[in-house]
Amino acid sequence: MILLWLLIVPLLAGPVAFAVRRRAAMEAVNLIAFLIGLCLAGALAFQVLASGPISLFDGFFYADALSSLIVLLTAFVALVCAVYAVGYFRFVEQNTVFPDQPQPDGPAAARKLRKYYSLMPLFVFSMILVALANNLGILWVASEITTLASVFLVTFYARETSLEAAWKYVMIGGVGLSMALFGTILTYYSAHRVLGIDSLAGLNWTMLLGNASVFDKATMRLAFILILLGYGTKAGMAPMHTWKPDAYSEAPVPAAAMLAAGVLNCALYGLVRFYILTSKCLGPEFASQLLIVFGLLSIGVAVPFILVQKSFRRLLAYSSIDHCGIMVLALGFGGPLGILGLFLHMTFHAVTKPLLFFCAGNIQQHLGTDLFRKAKGGLIHAMPWSGAAFLLGMLAVTGTPPFSLFLSEFTILRAAFSGGHYLPGVLFVAFLVVIFSGFILHIGNLVLGADTGLPAPAPCRWKKYSLLGLASLIILLGFWIPGPLFHLIQSAADVVVTGQSALGAPLVKSLVRLQ
Amino acid sequence: MSFLHDPQLGNTAITLMAALVLVLQIAMVAQRWLVTNIRVFGVQSFVLAAIAATIAWFNHANHLYVAALLMLLLKALLLPIVLERLVAKVGIRHSIHPVINVPLSVLISGGLTLLGYVVAESFYHPEETSTAATLGHNMLPIAISLFLIGFFMIVNRRNGLTQVLGLLSMENGLFLAAISLTYGVPLVVELGIFFDVLVGAMVLGILMYRIGETFDSMDVSRLRRLRG
Repeated sequence: MILLWLLIVPLLAGPVAFAVRRRAAMEAVNLIAFLIGLCLAGALAFQVLASGPISLFDGFFYADALSSLIVLLTAFVALVCAVYAVGYFRFVEQNTVFPDQPQPDGPAAARKLRKYYSLMPLFVFSMILVALANNLGILWVASEITTLASVFLVTFYARETSLEAAWKYVMIGGVGLSMALFGTILTYYSAHRVLGIDSLAGLNWTMLLGNASVFDKATMRLAFILILLGYGTKAGMAPMHTWKPDAYSEAPVPAAAMLAAGVLNCALYGLVRFYILTSKCLGPEFASQLLIVFGLLSIGVAVPFILVQKSFRRLLAYSSIDHCGIMVLALGFGGPLGILGLFLHMTFHAVTKPLLFFCAGNIQQHLGTDLFRKAKGGLIHAMPWSGAAFLLGMLAVTGTPPFSLFLSEFTILRAAFSGGHYLPGVLFVAFLVVIFSGFILHIGNLVLGADTGLPAPAPCRWKKYSLLGLASLIILLGFWIPGPLFHLIQSAADVVVTGQSALGAPLVKSLVRLQ
Repeated sequence: MSFLHDPQLGNTAITLMAALVLVLQIAMVAQRWLVTNIRVFGVQSFVLAAIAATIAWFNHANHLYVAALLMLLLKALLLPIVLERLVAKVGIRHSIHPVINVPLSVLISGGLTLLGYVVAESFYHPEETSTAATLGHNMLPIAISLFLIGFFMIVNRRNGLTQVLGLLSMENGLFLAAISLTYGVPLVVELGIFFDVLVGAMVLGILMYRIGETFDSMDVSRLRRLRG
């Protein structure tokens, strides 16, 4: 039943927020819905850890450790974004001039807020559906809904550039997802011609996994290429990443953070599910090579754009392309270590990325620009909290010790060398070093420096609490990972490792001792 | 009336109709008028619905009738009507200016069809001679070609609305693959896909309308302020 509630709560919150109209009520609906969502996600994680995978409606919905990790991360990001959104949109309502409205705080702003607060729960609903659907077709349908629910979040500001960003987002996303659908159909075909399975359960992942070793190999190969391109596009993997900087910089900050820390995980989740099937059918080499090439390409593509970046919102988007590449690379390295590194990275990234977006949002709202050129530097004097948190988040996201992303990147690197992938391992480190220097240069110039006499912004509790909460969580995770969380990550890695091998022995626990 | 149950006849009819679908796809590439393009797309969807119904009839795959009906209602009737009204509303009826000229575009489409056959050939199993296997063998190359040509249409065109048509015809290719390879995907997935296509087309329509109002044009090549 918990699976059903996880879906119903956000699904109902959308129409309810649409109906209540008053700003305070809409904020409350969102906050309460996402708080309940996070509690349910936590409960689901404990239940799965205690008694194994659970399913509902004859296996139509299915949650193992992998799905519950994704649900937990999505629910967490949704809640912190909802807290930040309160402060962010109150500022928008009072200060922003929309193209279709001459002065601030008018009906256009109220309309847009209503749109945001009713679309956001549907967006979250679709992401949770991605993680809980057992049927790979429904997984695809839910991925498509994530795009459709978020298009009008990207066009929030109704500028010419937001329309451009939304157009690219839908078209590139649409083409990408149709490749993913083709891949799904071919997977079904490769199972179908061998097993003749039909009717409702034929596309169920649990059903397919049991028989993956006898699938038609040639078809499965093509299917995986299409899936990689398809869900890779959704995740923003190079070379299909071009929608990402536009959508991330045009969307309002909470929606952009949700795209960067929520949708990315869901798209990779789809890829991982198919990866398990493919490597069970074809052996791990075929998928690994493709994943390593595309992963390195994504990190490599991000490098020059991070170095010469002019806008800090777009800088974050390229960082997201870089991290997408790192996770794809980790999946490519494979083995117990690589997979564990992947899920550690996914978790830490989902905690760290929203902080950066929130800081960037605060600075953008205060300065009215997202260009480094127009921000004269020395922001830490006017905005001590946002400035300090931005520096902290920057160090964390580039994988500086003692922050937790260092731990996951180091694990991935160990996986590279222990798996014999020397050249990709070396390139990986080299790219990360350059990205680190690019980041420290840009953010250092922005935040540090002499006081320019900029007035301090009006204090806002909601913004400050979301920043402080996330920052302390990041510091905490650098030194201590809660036992149950680590257990969940390990079990998620186990799902992949045991799923792809015919043996079925839980290898991760015996090989990895992190603490 | 026993010939109505002869699977051989069914296969021939389906193959003929699939060839017609491919011809219509290339006609869309060659066609320069926006409204005609939308109508060709409608006819293509209608033929696909007929293919789905034929497959359902000859193979007793009853759930395919639902897919055929949805295809007929949504993609052959509703979407063309909505898109034509959108064109009338924005008030743009002029012709499409492709990036590559028409003869070369048609030639490229021919090349993509060949590519479709080459790709499909790589997993052809000559030892299987059942009607289902033959059907899949005939349809898959056409489906891949539709997919590739649809993609080419998106890249080749500056008008936003024809890019939408390209995307929708890519999805038509997927529909053909799904109904011929596996007699359709499970019904609940089929419904989900149609729901997404419908909502997606509406979203793109609204977006198109707003772009048309803001830029006084549906020429999406003007959307290039976001760089780097």
